[in-house]
Amino acid sequence: MSPLIILIALFALAAASWFAARAKARLFYKGRGSMAALPSYHGWHMALWVLVPALAVWAIWSAIAPGLVQSAILSDPAAAILPKMDLERDAIIAEAMTAAANDGFGTFRAESAALVPAVQAITVRFSWIGAILTALVAFAGGAFGYSRIKAAFPARTRVETAVMALLMAASFVAILTTIGIIGSLIFETGIFFTYVSPADFLFGTNWNPDPFAAVTPELGEKLGAVPLFWGTLFIGAIIAMIVAIPFGLMSAIYLTQYASANFRKFAKPALEILAGVPTVVYGYFAALTVAPMVRDFAAFVGVDNPTTESALAAGIVMGVMIIPFVSSMADDSIAAVPQSMRDGSLAMGATQSETIKKVLIPAALPGIVAGIMLAISRAIGETMIVYMAAGAAANLSANPFDSMTTVTYQIARLLTGDGDFDHPATLSAFALGLVLFGVTLVLNVIALNVVKRYREAYE
Amino acid sequence: MSSWHTPEATARLKKRYAAERRFKAMGVVAIVLSLSFLAFLLITMVSKGIGGLDMQFLQGSDSTNPDDAGIWGAFKGSLLTMAVTLALSFPLGVLSAIYLEEFAPRKRWVEWVEVSINNLAAVPSIIFGLLGLAIFIQFAGLPRSSPLVGGITLALMTMPVIVISGRNAIKSVPPSIRDAALAVGASPVQTVFHHVLPLALPGILTGTIIGMARALGETAPLLIIGMRVFASAPPQSVTDASSVLPMQIFLWSDEIDQGFVQNTSAAIIVLLLFLLAMNGLAIYLRNKFETRW
Repeated sequence: MSPLIILIALFALAAASWFAARAKARLFYKGRGSMAALPSYHGWHMALWVLVPALAVWAIWSAIAPGLVQSAILSDPAAAILPKMDLERDAIIAEAMTAAANDGFGTFRAESAALVPAVQAITVRFSWIGAILTALVAFAGGAFGYSRIKAAFPARTRVETAVMALLMAASFVAILTTIGIIGSLIFETGIFFTYVSPADFLFGTNWNPDPFAAVTPELGEKLGAVPLFWGTLFIGAIIAMIVAIPFGLMSAIYLTQYASANFRKFAKPALEILAGVPTVVYGYFAALTVAPMVRDFAAFVGVDNPTTESALAAGIVMGVMIIPFVSSMADDSIAAVPQSMRDGSLAMGATQSETIKKVLIPAALPGIVAGIMLAISRAIGETMIVYMAAGAAANLSANPFDSMTTVTYQIARLLTGDGDFDHPATLSAFALGLVLFGVTLVLNVIALNVVKRYREAYE
Repeated sequence: MSSWHTPEATARLKKRYAAERRFKAMGVVAIVLSLSFLAFLLITMVSKGIGGLDMQFLQGSDSTNPDDAGIWGAFKGSLLTMAVTLALSFPLGVLSAIYLEEFAPRKRWVEWVEVSINNLAAVPSIIFGLLGLAIFIQFAGLPRSSPLVGGITLALMTMPVIVISGRNAIKSVPPSIRDAALAVGASPVQTVFHHVLPLALPGILTGTIIGMARALGETAPLLIIGMRVFASAPPQSVTDASSVLPMQIFLWSDEIDQGFVQNTSAAIIVLLLFLLAMNGLAIYLRNKFETRW
């Protein structure tokens, strides 16, 4: 039985029971106030009793069924031919199960081919057991729900308790996601650190991972991440910010202080389009147009052998991508400065630009700095632009025309390669991910707190 | 002559006014340069890609020959992925927005939920790819490269966006609506689901569309979970290996054959038009249903 059919059948049954329960509840209706709950709530009550226990049983069954199928296969007479060796035996069973799902195609060993009919029979049997079990629970739940329909039964409060549980469960998904991220990163990083010492990884300056190299203690010498950290900071926190901060700040100042309402109405959404362009488009544009321009410029100013992939090209494009973000953060902070401070400065005879430079920006500085921190956190987590324009060479240099690589680039490259998932070089991607997550988390938490305190100060 | 009109004072004033004009000009330059970068990008893509937009391109799937390659396979992959994302993130996001805004008690774990949501909205997208790879593919054994895993991963990324915009929309419904419903005997749950939620829905939908537009343009997490596949036929179900629109752009941009430059730019035009349509819909919804209380 395919999962989809079971799901559809369950929901159809629940819908049918909704109508049945409402129809029965209506028989009790003897005018206003004669019932503790409206008939439709009796419908919901019964539908929930059909659905929830059955779904729970089905989920549990789906979780334990593979283990049961495995042991059933082992106790089957057809499995007598299998070798006693655990590893090989499991491999044969796995192959036979894949083949059984594909109508018997794709077997490489004689043993697994012989096993296919038995496996097919067992799989079918167990999926039927699961389906029947689920159906039994659904009908039992429905019968119980149906039997509860009385005039005095408080169906609404019961249904509302279930709704509250659902709302709470939905809110819990956010925490589960955070736990999932931290847990999986720490788990895989822990495995990585059994091969490579954290000191080698965090302070080594030679990055040259080879997912096919033999696993030896010397492996750590090629997994020093300092060049990646430097490349990430140089592109995301230095070059991109040199572009984004002046442009973002000046456009925010112009839009809030000088521009006419009509110009603002056109320019603000236009700037926001910059933020909505997908990063892969920026990456392509960086590689196709900006990078050759940067290379020609490098040749023009006399750099030897300029490369097409340069930190500068990626950084500039990333900076442009961040402009609307910096602009809207600065916009918010400047708008939060009380009008009285601006009026006071203008009344003393300061020009508008003097007011902005000497009063508004100092007053808005905490908010602006927090915005820049969020912008940096966004820039160092950006993947596609650097993947397409910055290059793979782990150079530890301060020359913006050099090819440079970043943490995000290496994560993406290591995990899209053909390397074995359990190889230390592949696992290093998770260690890099943990560092990236930690740094962006700290930046975000500090920045959000600064913004919050800053808003409170002026309220 | 008063001391206000000495030659030094006049000269100083002139300098101050010049500084004022320079400052204003810097603002104009910043905006004009930013917008001309956008214009340059769009014009480059349109001029390189417009020739490649024909029926063959819109109906075909990926191919090693740039003349045969088309966008439909990746487009369908994107649609399937977005369907999974929407089906998961919309109910989860709306339900948790309702809970946090209307019912949540001031308890420690609720604070943790709020901190999680605010942080998840700012976590780099590639981290979600690592989560998807470690949990959904390695641990739960879901099919690699499939719109199913891609959709779940993007749903976790989109959910915080929907929660944040949903909470703002719910917050903007005036308390008098709730008071009126409660006064005539509605239960708190009825008040929220019968009165508050319908009024907040346009705002929630606007936020959802914006979140979905972001998810549609996302590449990095899908790269990690292996949606970098050569799919010469459109996917038939959410468990088939499939590519998505931005991934197709990325794959073609890597091709050496010059014919793929046109394909890449044409695919970018399709993606940008689709995003523009989604954002246009969001703006339309906001203007049409926005209520000023």
